[in-house]
Amino acid sequence: MRVNVAKITNLSADIWELVLNGPFPYDSIQAGQFVNIRIGENYDHILRRPISIAAVDRIKQRMTIVLRAVGAGTKWLSERRVGDSLDVLGPLGHGFPIQSTAGAVLIVGGGIGVPPLYLLAKELQPIVGQLDILLGFRDQQDCFWLDKFAPLGNVTIATEDGSVGKKGYVTEAIVAEPYYEKKWQYLYSCGPTSMLRAIKELFVETQVKGYVSLEERMACGVGACYGCVCSSENKQAAKRICKEGPVFDWREVTL
Amino acid sequence: MNKPDLTVDLAGLVLKNPVMPASGCFGYGREYAQYYALETLGAVVVKATTLEPWLGNATPRVTEVRGGMLNAIGLANPGLQKVVQEELVWLSTQNVPIIVNVAGRTEDEYCQVSEAIANCELAHAVELNVSCPNVKCGGISFGVDPHVLQDLVQMVKRVCALPLFVKLSPNVTSIGDMAQAAEQGGADGISLINTLIGMEINIHRRKPVLANGIGGLSGPGIKPVAVRMVYQAAKVVSIPIIGMGGIFTGADAIEFMMAGATAVMVGTANFTDPYACPTIIDQIKEFMVDNAITSLAEIRGCVL
Repeated sequence: MRVNVAKITNLSADIWELVLNGPFPYDSIQAGQFVNIRIGENYDHILRRPISIAAVDRIKQRMTIVLRAVGAGTKWLSERRVGDSLDVLGPLGHGFPIQSTAGAVLIVGGGIGVPPLYLLAKELQPIVGQLDILLGFRDQQDCFWLDKFAPLGNVTIATEDGSVGKKGYVTEAIVAEPYYEKKWQYLYSCGPTSMLRAIKELFVETQVKGYVSLEERMACGVGACYGCVCSSENKQAAKRICKEGPVFDWREVTL
Repeated sequence: MNKPDLTVDLAGLVLKNPVMPASGCFGYGREYAQYYALETLGAVVVKATTLEPWLGNATPRVTEVRGGMLNAIGLANPGLQKVVQEELVWLSTQNVPIIVNVAGRTEDEYCQVSEAIANCELAHAVELNVSCPNVKCGGISFGVDPHVLQDLVQMVKRVCALPLFVKLSPNVTSIGDMAQAAEQGGADGISLINTLIGMEINIHRRKPVLANGIGGLSGPGIKPVAVRMVYQAAKVVSIPIIGMGGIFTGADAIEFMMAGATAVMVGTANFTDPYACPTIIDQIKEFMVDNAITSLAEIRGCVL
């Protein structure tokens, strides 16, 4: 499918927001799903780049992706202009199961893992008793979309250097909450694997249910190549992050 | 002018066109069936199948490099029983010939799997993976020694009634010797090339990018090597050759056929574009029309 760049915005040092329109099944997008984007029109870059869908506007029929320009592929994406077209596959993978509850729900995001949680927070906000959103970034330079999250729940920011919000990692902000083990009914998270692992350790002994979105280098993005896999706790066959994931029950996967 | 005839005959297995996805790049077909009808293809070649389930290597398993990609999947697959019951049963409803790629750690494993595949009556041919460079204890030892290879092919041929293709490794000194060994062992055809062994190092982390350290190089960059090897193999064997290695366009496929290939396999290109195979089929047809070629036999091996 070919979509067009409707808007491109530099959010911080190397973070870019692209609004895409044009024919795409926007109505079927689930929070946590991704698009696999071809880089260039020739064969200089043969692998697509998987990018999470961060927001969708079903009325205007457009979606937003946010990426960090780190390698050749994401840099190419960050250099697109309004009106350029992109070859995208998607929406791919399985998104976050949306659980309604009268209780409290915690969303934890880290760095470039934050964007898909915006779409998730928008969907959870009307159907949960309380929505706590904890976002971790390296520093002030690295922060983005704080204003977009603000109306969706109780937002706490943590930066490694303390330049915005609390100083330290998101896990330190979690344990600073009194009775954190019993506070939340559901937990949703996306971010670096080290962060997800630390969160899992914090809650593994509790009753908290939840979901994590994983990241891995991908080739096909559709489940054919078995390039992006993670192991499941029950030691059965590996799960494909692009196909069975990228969202998994956090107790099911080995982090 | 007559409609171009794309059919090819691979040791009695007639394909409506010469294009099939390469093993390992197409799963068992399910994922790509949502993009186009699999019956568009000459055949579907499924992921390597082993006797028991193999978990494969640690991640990262794939990375893009200039001119292609490296992979070290490690032949992850759910094992013979599940492949037959859950994948081949489904694939056999898709109206397309099925070629099952078979891998193993021992000659006995190759024989057991190939025999079972022949007996399940769902597949149309077997392709032996004797060359995957990723599995430390398997493939590599069979694919680099002509005597070992010939023995293996002979043993499998005895128990497997289906057409048997042997997928050759390019990581050898003389591809001609390996092609002849396969032919002398009784192979009905050969497919080449498998990936070239490569490596990439992350200089900031001072570590290999792939968890396995080394991996198979595929993509546009390996095409000249692959064409050369098909050409050299075609000079010394008379069994049909399936060419592969960096085929992204119809022109690439034509090049392999001119080097002596009867059919081609498309691997990495599926990742760049899920419609790669049907596009290549259309481009081959277009080339035939433009050049007044009525049958692919007219150009096959024309440079030999």
